[in-house]
Amino acid sequence: MLFRDIFHTGIRSIRHARMRSFLTILGIVIGISSVIVLMSVGTSAQALIVDQVQSIGSDLIFILPGATLSSRFSAPASAFGVVTKTLVQADVNALEREPSISAVVPAVYGQGTIAYGNNNAIISYQGVTANFFQVRNFKVASGRPFNTADVQGGNRVAVLGQNIAKTLFGNFDPVGKYVRIANTPLQVIGVLGKQGTGPGGVNQDDIALVPITVAQNQLIGINYFNFVTVQANPSYNMDFVKARVISDLRQDHGITDPTKDDFTVQTQQDALAILGSITSVMTVFLAAIASISLVVGGIGIMNIMLVSVVERTREIGLRKAVGATNRDILRQFLVESALLTLVGGVIGIAIGALIDVLAYLVLSAVLETGWVFALPASAIILGAGVSTAIGIVFGFYPARQAARKSPIEALHYE
Amino acid sequence: MLAIRGLKKVYRDEGDEGTTALDGLSFDIEKGEFVAIMGPSGSGKSTLLHILGFLDRPTGGEYVFNGKKMDELSDEDLARVRNREMGFVFQDFNLLGHATVAENVELPLLYSTDIEPADRRTLVERAVKAVGLEEKMRVEAGNLSGGQKQRVAIARALVMDPSVVFADEPTGNLDSKSGGAVMEILRELNKEGHTVILVTHETYTAEFANRILHIKDGLLEKDEKVLKQRETFFK
Repeated sequence: MLFRDIFHTGIRSIRHARMRSFLTILGIVIGISSVIVLMSVGTSAQALIVDQVQSIGSDLIFILPGATLSSRFSAPASAFGVVTKTLVQADVNALEREPSISAVVPAVYGQGTIAYGNNNAIISYQGVTANFFQVRNFKVASGRPFNTADVQGGNRVAVLGQNIAKTLFGNFDPVGKYVRIANTPLQVIGVLGKQGTGPGGVNQDDIALVPITVAQNQLIGINYFNFVTVQANPSYNMDFVKARVISDLRQDHGITDPTKDDFTVQTQQDALAILGSITSVMTVFLAAIASISLVVGGIGIMNIMLVSVVERTREIGLRKAVGATNRDILRQFLVESALLTLVGGVIGIAIGALIDVLAYLVLSAVLETGWVFALPASAIILGAGVSTAIGIVFGFYPARQAARKSPIEALHYE
Repeated sequence: MLAIRGLKKVYRDEGDEGTTALDGLSFDIEKGEFVAIMGPSGSGKSTLLHILGFLDRPTGGEYVFNGKKMDELSDEDLARVRNREMGFVFQDFNLLGHATVAENVELPLLYSTDIEPADRRTLVERAVKAVGLEEKMRVEAGNLSGGQKQRVAIARALVMDPSVVFADEPTGNLDSKSGGAVMEILRELNKEGHTVILVTHETYTAEFANRILHIKDGLLEKDEKVLKQRETFFK
């Protein structure tokens, strides 16, 4: 029997029992649409995260003190608050001499109370050098950023994030006023523009920036750095620059055995790879849960196909009498259940896409950052393929039952 | 064209000694014959027809159809022979009710490996015309009268131009007028050269044939030549 004819026969019997066919494929529709929604939401979330990471600047290399243990996906101890004092000014000086590096921004992190008059708040502040603003693309909305003279002179100045400015000053302009951080008076010289949530969920409108010398010597009292950002010279390859950073630091720290590194160097690609793998795992995990309903749907298909085989016993007998082989009958029922589930899959994809559009409209209105609409082609192909496969897998047993009927018993079935 | 020797069929359920439907039948049927198999109900005549039509296998004895020994053929081979060389007409028509007349008649062509799809239409039209239903080609089979349904079934049996047509009580569900029309068509087919093998329990239906095999208790009771074949259904 030609496939075209089998196909026609299948379409005919599905159309003949429209209501039943629809109810039969409902499980598949629900399963496929949830898989589609989860896959596309996962993709969108991934795109959003990647976008945020990339907004930091794709030419940056991050240095953390302390070694990274075991795999490349783990973070150094310093990331968990363990104090490591190995990154110092000598390292920064060495890196600044490197022609493949265009900027080096050391940073220290502190936490403390910021107060203005009776208003106060507990904040995270960063001590940074003047080139931080240009390297990290932080703009001031009013006033000015601090400059090299402020840093070198240890001037007691601060640039506030939008939210802190609002908390302490309400609608007044803080520029020129004095705030106290860790009981040290600092003059506010600028307020940052709106930065939004950065990678890792830190709201960058909640931080205050002070010259690194002030933070090290007056606020915290340390002489090492918590973090160093390196901006690569655009004419050099990132991997090369990363290698240069590592070799400079090893030389500076007198390390000959790479396993004894007391620092961790990560590029933005490394960060993207980690985040990408996390979101992929999440997406696959959620899609796997959603696909449980596909199994349930498949069992429903098997059930209905078994009923259909019994109901059509006489038809099977007749087809055999006029020359259908067992294989013809097997194919006919397999194609029929595969068609059913494929239709279910297509409807599921359409409903999933619709939910995606709604999610896009709602999320892009709620989230300030851009939520991108994503309906990956892989999800569509997977949805159609999986649904057809379910039809073939769960349709096989009923189809074999049909094929095995003896023509004469089938013809005499009442 | 077909020959059976010592044909046996015993239906055996677990534990019991079995029911003997055919108890060692032997006869030949030549090409072009119109044979009626007669007998009371339970005589084994339907079982015999099913075996002759390759729908069922005997439990003993030999069956040779057009030079092919049945016990040497696989189920696939049987299906192919049924498709190419045999046509079936059943008592209760066995049409696909929601398919049109043309689609019902086309059914055997779909399972044929040597009919080109382009030729199907011509073959279907010829077969439907042969039973006089060309006006009803696009009508759903379920909407036809009993007599028309049986004529569709005959067209379906004819469409592959088989060497033999098996008819199992073809008039059993019909009034005498439509039954007569059906028998006349079968007689026409026989005149055109098709071998027709008919199962019936009605003498006046059997008399359309030129030979009547009387079966009783699974044995051939009488092999009777019909000297004057019946031409119409009415006395």
